[in-house]
Amino acid sequence: MKVVVYGTKSCVWCGKTRKFLKKYNIKFKDIDIEKSKSAEKKMIKISGQEGFPVINVNGKIILGYDEPKLRSVLNIK
Amino acid sequence: MKDKSEKYDFIIIGAGVTGLSASMYGARLGLKTLCLGYTHSSELSIGGVITTTNIVENYPGFIKLTGSELADAIEKHARSYELVSIKEQKVIDIEKKKNEFVVKTENDEYIGKTILFATGTKWRKLEVPGSLEYENKGVAYCALCDAPLFKNKIVGLVGGSDNAAKDALVLSEHAKKVYIIYRGENIRPEPINLKRVYDKVKSGKIEIINNANVKEVKGSKFIEKVILDREFNGSKELALQGLFIAIGHIALTDLAKKIGVNLDKKGEIILDHKTSETNLPGVFGAGDCADKPFKQAITGVAEGCTAAYSAYEYINKNNLTN
Repeated sequence: MKVVVYGTKSCVWCGKTRKFLKKYNIKFKDIDIEKSKSAEKKMIKISGQEGFPVINVNGKIILGYDEPKLRSVLNIK
Repeated sequence: MKDKSEKYDFIIIGAGVTGLSASMYGARLGLKTLCLGYTHSSELSIGGVITTTNIVENYPGFIKLTGSELADAIEKHARSYELVSIKEQKVIDIEKKKNEFVVKTENDEYIGKTILFATGTKWRKLEVPGSLEYENKGVAYCALCDAPLFKNKIVGLVGGSDNAAKDALVLSEHAKKVYIIYRGENIRPEPINLKRVYDKVKSGKIEIINNANVKEVKGSKFIEKVILDREFNGSKELALQGLFIAIGHIALTDLAKKIGVNLDKKGEIILDHKTSETNLPGVFGAGDCADKPFKQAITGVAEGCTAAYSAYEYINKNNLTN
């Protein structure tokens, strides 16, 4: 399973997303868009918006820290 | 749903700093305490609204820390008490039955002898054409979260409160220019933050447009401009690449209202400020969802602690200790 989190260090919901994924030992690529303009553009392109975080789970895009959706997509009960 | 509902002396709805502090005091008073919060990027999250604050420098004992650090510290403190249980569950209904309250979440049901509403608030939306359409497409509510996306861009911020000023200061660290658009004559943050804003005004990083309202948000795929209700620099159109909204909060009091708690015109819980009692016996309120003009972490925490003590007294006076 490929999980990518687009966010920033200061974003509260990005932090909660990382904490949630770590809690369930889900490996993910953590992309800080402050450090990469191309990553920022990609995040906007795949999500069609500018809010944080954007989580890409095998091509499924989750906008914001949405625990029920994350649980569903990642099969976590 | 479990067959048998768990019983508690004190059930707190909301796990922001107010609810967490109340749970700690509840435990110190010997009350079996449950604190319910909902981890989701909307309402009632563990830690509450302060987690969206960049810098807290008015909480005694801490010269400077982030809102998340303060919330984490209070949560850790509350969890250190065996009598405290903090659960990440959303409360969907409450019923009063004789001398107890049935609190239903999406997964479970709990029974409490007393309950505390520490449900906090949600951001007040800017209700003008285009604002919803461009939400997360330039229109944003959390400066701390989204400011990095506006590096070297021109952004607007609607509002004039202390929170609005702090948001403008956060934005000014990233954006090329920040326009504060305020409906009144003068913005009204705490003097310390007003000075910080004026320092940025002097440097040209922030500009204040007083006596102005945003009437419409316009753009194509993303926001491109707003329409003001008065001319600024010879035009009612203001070109922007981002618009942050800081026009206050709405109390989350639907559940309180449902069981008969008296609310004021703003929808905030009317409290006896000596005791944090509501009009209903055994039901208390505290924090940003309650009717006080000065809403701070420290005042919410104090009200939560007062509510815990009042719950303790209520249980003892009514012989509900068993």
